[in-house]
Amino acid sequence: MPIVLAPINKPVKVIRIFAEEKTKKHLESLGITINSQLTVLSSSGGSVVCRVKDGKIALDGNLSTKIMVTE
Amino acid sequence: MRDDGDKITMLTMALAGNPNSGKTTLFNSLTGSTAHVGNWPGVTVDKKEGVYKKCPEPIAIIDLPGIYSLSPYTPEEVIARNYILDEQPDCVINIVDATNLERNLYLTTQILEIDVPVVIALNMIDAVEKVGDKLDEKALEKALGVPVVKISALKETGLDELMARAYEVSKRERLGKTVIEDAAVRHLIGDVKIALDGQNVKDPLFHAVKLVECDSIEVEMHPSALKTVEEFKKTHSDGIFGDDYEALIADARYKYISKNFSSVIKRKNEDRMKMTSSDKADKVLTHKIWGIPIFLLILFAIFHLTFSEDLLYLGAIFGLPSLEDLGLTVDGEAINYGVRWLACFYDGAVFSPGVIINNIWNDMLVGELFGFLEGLVENSGMADWAIGLVNNGVIEGVGSVLSFLPPILVLFLFFSILEDSGYMARIAFILDRMFRRFGLSGRAFMPMIMGFGCSVPAMINTRTLADDKERTATIRVIPFFSCGAKLPILTAVAGAVVAVFGIGNADVITFSMYVLGIVAAIVSVLLMRSTTLSGETPPFIMELPSYHAPQFKNLMLHLWDKAKHFIKKAFTIIMASTIIIWVLTHFSFSWQFLADEEINQSILANISRFVQPVLTPLGFGSQLGEYGWVFVVAAVAGLIAKENVISTFATLAACLAAVASLSLAGLDIEAEDGVDAVQAMINATNVTVPALIAFIAFNMTTIPCFAAVGTARSELGDKKRFNGTLIFWLASSYIIASMIYTIGSWWWTAFIWAAVIAIVVAVIVMRNKKAALK
Repeated sequence: MPIVLAPINKPVKVIRIFAEEKTKKHLESLGITINSQLTVLSSSGGSVVCRVKDGKIALDGNLSTKIMVTE
Repeated sequence: MRDDGDKITMLTMALAGNPNSGKTTLFNSLTGSTAHVGNWPGVTVDKKEGVYKKCPEPIAIIDLPGIYSLSPYTPEEVIARNYILDEQPDCVINIVDATNLERNLYLTTQILEIDVPVVIALNMIDAVEKVGDKLDEKALEKALGVPVVKISALKETGLDELMARAYEVSKRERLGKTVIEDAAVRHLIGDVKIALDGQNVKDPLFHAVKLVECDSIEVEMHPSALKTVEEFKKTHSDGIFGDDYEALIADARYKYISKNFSSVIKRKNEDRMKMTSSDKADKVLTHKIWGIPIFLLILFAIFHLTFSEDLLYLGAIFGLPSLEDLGLTVDGEAINYGVRWLACFYDGAVFSPGVIINNIWNDMLVGELFGFLEGLVENSGMADWAIGLVNNGVIEGVGSVLSFLPPILVLFLFFSILEDSGYMARIAFILDRMFRRFGLSGRAFMPMIMGFGCSVPAMINTRTLADDKERTATIRVIPFFSCGAKLPILTAVAGAVVAVFGIGNADVITFSMYVLGIVAAIVSVLLMRSTTLSGETPPFIMELPSYHAPQFKNLMLHLWDKAKHFIKKAFTIIMASTIIIWVLTHFSFSWQFLADEEINQSILANISRFVQPVLTPLGFGSQLGEYGWVFVVAAVAGLIAKENVISTFATLAACLAAVASLSLAGLDIEAEDGVDAVQAMINATNVTVPALIAFIAFNMTTIPCFAAVGTARSELGDKKRFNGTLIFWLASSYIIASMIYTIGSWWWTAFIWAAVIAIVVAVIVMRNKKAALK
């Protein structure tokens, strides 16, 4: 499911990222890679704030439909 | 020391690390007062350098921009990467935030691939140990193969050890090392590395890994080696990643990190889900509904504390008496020196801190000093023209710029506090949804709001924007966010409008002009994003750092940088331009020196008369008669620096006052705020209210100033884009000003404008639909 629909405060695993190359690279350097764990902290109107490793990352609504996660 | 041919240079070390890892704090602690700002090679972007003196030899420290990786996502990352690769520092000090170790080490794994000595500074170790976690730096050192030193940049602990270790390793060569363990990929990297080695490429391992990642810069640089990679990809396909090698390598890096480092960190509390105080603050500050109102409140508070002459509206609420009422001033003159000081703080209302600082600076310090200097020149016995040149040209011009220093610095201080505390990232996030509708991401907000202080740092700040077109659009509209130097134009003209025509309220006019600028920015961004700069709105990805109290020392260093920049500007560009204007108004084409009242024969008057007809639709062109050209001069002078507009008014008004046929008695032309000077212009030209408002609007939206134009040129890079930007500024100011003048003078022209706008919108929408169908 896209990260925007992921349950709040539950660890999920990233399985696919449908963003363009440059964006994907940037996500990787922030710790959002395929196989990585993250936790959605809040989601409002499509945009999402999630905990990745020990940091907090905010993503816009469009991008959060392109990151697929599984529980 | 490194030997560059026959030139021996100082030992250099570069500081590299993630944004928010405490890099700037470390830089300030290491270099103290030796820091200065230079330029990065090739780009005119600030580069901070300083010297560390406690090692056997002095070491130059370079502060690289904060980066997450060495892949080129933002222009800043390219700067940092090129510096390490091309300038070959003697050592890279990689600062790592111990509270977010895994993510920070991602950059480390890339730096380690370069053939350069590296030292890891494990920062914020105090925060980690405070919650009871333990970090084994010896284990980390063993795993990475480079020295790891625990430090706290904030408390300045461990710095000497860090630098001693850095000094030690800088004496030895180090070969790059990769952490990627996947056998097939390692094999490929090895092959590419051999190929690059054969071409004598420096740092072959780094380039090889980046080539396998299909890094855009590398692909262009090494086309021949790329073939090897492509061949390989055809024959090998990974189970999970397919041929997406770049994702595979990213995964390999994180895998290596988590495998080795879970043993390094001993967490007291295994539960990462616990709410920190930062999380709690975010619940409120990034709230769906309350986020934006809270932000607006904070923004209002900042402007109130900077510009308000009635702090907390105490004066209006309690009806406090003015100094005149108290008998402390007579006809605006203080009865003694103490009252002059009191007047800096209070006059019928308590002033805001920004205004108090401004008053002390202008009335007590700069005013006194320049008055004293002008007196000296006056009595020096020089020729009249020389006295005029020094006093009206040089001293007045420099003084006018220096007088804007306080509001700009105060505003900048507040923005630095927002930035350092971590709140700025949240504002960008909550505004992202709104900005998205105009085709920008929330990141563009930061440079725009900085534009209220000064366009130059605001344009430099656009380097945090990853998308080129978004960057261009943002740079173009930054001047519409009326900067500190434009404020005096607003207050002087608005004040004169109220005084002469007795209509409206000066504050309302000023405020609505600020709003006009913002609306103009929104409309132009929409227009650009749907025509010349169309493209998908870039994604918004932003780290929300933990909140922390800003540091006094860092804030002061930021301010000092800014102040230096302005003082430099005052004594160079502004001084030169005021001298030129003075010369052009006091000489005729036959180079005859003209007295003030002969201003109509000056070179400037003649040139301006030539341009005047062009500005007729804007209300301050040919219709103003004999002296109408003065508005043209002021506007043209404003293209050099906006501070010039009011100082030009003052110069010109002084000349006009000398013309007997104009009755300008009772006006205090020399008054600092420029209101009387503008009144003199109004009386001499019979300009109308709509034309005056159009004049303000023109100045606000046209080509900003030499300094901002120069910055725009270096930030845009592309010559074509820069020329487009100049045309954009001229066109938008011309259209906006003429719209205001015509509608203000003849209300029914609003229908014509509406029709034209409707046609333009319809054409754009239709064209874009057609393009979408193709």
